Amino acid sequence: MAWGGSDPGCPLLRRLPDQTSGRRTTPAAGAPQFEGLMEIDRADGRTPNQLRPLSCSRGVLHRAHGSASWSQGNTQILAAAYGPKAGTKKNENPERASFEVIWKPKSGQIGKQEEEYEMILKRTIQSICVLTVNPNTTTSVIVQVVHDDGALLPCAINAACAALVDAGIPLKHLAVSICCSLVEPGIVMLDPTKLEEEKMKAFTYLVFPNSSHSVLNKGSAQSENNDETEQGLITSVTHGIMSVDDYLQCLERGRAATTKLSDFLRRNLQPQLPSNT
Amino acid sequence: MDQRLGNAWRMTVNERKFVETALSSGLRVDGRDLFDYRKLGIKFGSEDGSAEVHLGQTRVLAFVTSQLVQPYRDRPNEGMLSVFTEFSPMADPSFEPGRPGDSAIELGRVIDRGLRESRAIDMESLCILSGKLVWAIRIDLHIIDNGGNLIDAANIAALAGLLASRRPECSLGGENGQDVIIHPPEVREPLPLIVHHLPIAVTFAIFDDESTVVIDPTYLEEEVMGGRITATLNTNGEVCAIQKAGGMAIPQNVIMHCLRMAATKAGDMTSKIKEAVDAYNRERTLRKIKRHPLPGSVGIRANIEKKQKKSQPLSAGDDSSMIKETEGKVRSIGGNSHKDGSNNSIIGSSSSWDPYSKGVNTELLKLSLAFRESSNHLKPQEESQSGDDEHLSEAKADEVAKDMEEPSRTPNAARSGVQSNGERTLMDAVKPKHKREKKEITQM
Repeated sequence: MAWGGSDPGCPLLRRLPDQTSGRRTTPAAGAPQFEGLMEIDRADGRTPNQLRPLSCSRGVLHRAHGSASWSQGNTQILAAAYGPKAGTKKNENPERASFEVIWKPKSGQIGKQEEEYEMILKRTIQSICVLTVNPNTTTSVIVQVVHDDGALLPCAINAACAALVDAGIPLKHLAVSICCSLVEPGIVMLDPTKLEEEKMKAFTYLVFPNSSHSVLNKGSAQSENNDETEQGLITSVTHGIMSVDDYLQCLERGRAATTKLSDFLRRNLQPQLPSNT
Repeated sequence: MDQRLGNAWRMTVNERKFVETALSSGLRVDGRDLFDYRKLGIKFGSEDGSAEVHLGQTRVLAFVTSQLVQPYRDRPNEGMLSVFTEFSPMADPSFEPGRPGDSAIELGRVIDRGLRESRAIDMESLCILSGKLVWAIRIDLHIIDNGGNLIDAANIAALAGLLASRRPECSLGGENGQDVIIHPPEVREPLPLIVHHLPIAVTFAIFDDESTVVIDPTYLEEEVMGGRITATLNTNGEVCAIQKAGGMAIPQNVIMHCLRMAATKAGDMTSKIKEAVDAYNRERTLRKIKRHPLPGSVGIRANIEKKQKKSQPLSAGDDSSMIKETEGKVRSIGGNSHKDGSNNSIIGSSSSWDPYSKGVNTELLKLSLAFRESSNHLKPQEESQSGDDEHLSEAKADEVAKDMEEPSRTPNAARSGVQSNGERTLMDAVKPKHKREKKEITQM
């Protein structure tokens, strides 16, 4: 399958270095033939499948029952969870635990965008939590944007999940979230920064359950298990136009990347054992 | 809704009695002295104008942004300042989302009065076109964790944010000088705010036996206290604002004692804030120097440092601007060499400052290449010693261009040569004249 012609207008795409001279040349205008793959040139030197450096700290706040600060590159989000309080709102099902999400943007004007984020977060949290343990209660999750540099909603979902773990809210599994963007039809790039996001044709936020480590039946049985449990896509929010094939490719890439994220989360959320025991 | 009441934290009778009894014997629950502040930590975010303050367990985030607006009609020459406070529900179970409550409004007003009425910020420098366009500074304070004494912590956060904030430089242009051109941060370095003095708020909590006064109450002590008084002072001992809204009546001598105490505390706090901001500014200028990950990049870095040191003896007063000029030169040349084909990747896309357009730089490069071929190293270096700024930066550009050409052609020899240059940087800084001869020798 031949790639489309080189696009001199797209600033991210360029040819791979010519092996002989060791120099990189920008695509000449109207040069249709070339050897080798198109490689994507990202501003911070990452490959298309590389995520930004992650960091997560739990228990950062003293009054909140659970809190976490999550940062992916320069995007930083602080999430706090207050444990179950008695009572639910009028239109919520009293047989189940309900959740309330409050999204606080950096500069204080709460608009439709923030309400949409709250709704997406609430539905995502509802699907990962065990709702029948504490019926007729409300758990609040508060998300504060500290810095926005792309992939805001995935960062927030990861932070909220970590805050819930810190608060001890019963969960079925963790939620791992990632942003996949479409540079050109056929080329998928993970975890864009804000500048990259603005140049994308389309991007999608995806939330997957985290990969499970099963203690029984290693080997083929485990891969079957993984296929079953990891098929599920919890949340997907897309912006822009993409073809169905591209979307499925985004899903695959996203799922592959979530194994890395899951490992990171697992390591981070495991309680630290004292080293001298 | 009633669900909120279920979650509100209420102090138990035992806790209350414990705090009161301890205070009557001059002990505080966390072991501090009566007039000690908790540990203060100030951190700055990656964006200009964002600061986070930890005062013990209390955490406050501040974001300072600026926008161009029309001024008030009765003050056409002054900029505007507004303070917005958000008591985030994550700070305390009793904080509700939505409209700010009484204490949030009071906090915002106290901080606003301390800044505005005392003229801590120079408003007239924010004016661009009198009567038409001025800068409006907006301070957003988010209370993240309520460990007590929110006013002091929020005030420090606001001051740190103001000192760290930058606004883009504007110039007037157009036919009749009425068009405003806003220079993006890549073109011109954004400007800091002019702050005349720092008004520091010091809060005292008064307890029922009227003689116990403590500074910086925790949230436990705030529940127990009978009244509160906040005094905003600066290091000159000037009182900017005093806030005592209701609460217990305090005798005069206690108030005078508090004000004297606040004056000393304000001095301490100001020096701590200034230290933190200075460290941040230093780190910020260092961050602006782009490090190119080239194989010969060690040489280039050494050249950058050498140039900075060279700039110091030549123009002592203009240090930071010289450093920025060299940064601009190096970065633009880095950009050009990308086109020329040496393999480098410029990391990061945040501000780079280039006083000259790219066209001029490529011409300089060609000139420098022509100079190289004629093997006449001395001319640009002689020009550099003339002390003229423009020639100096051009010469530096030439030298940097030459040095960058060297690594791409003969990496090993150049690296060793340039590295030996790097080893001599300290001595070079002391003796600028001898450097020329040494450079000659190593570049041969």
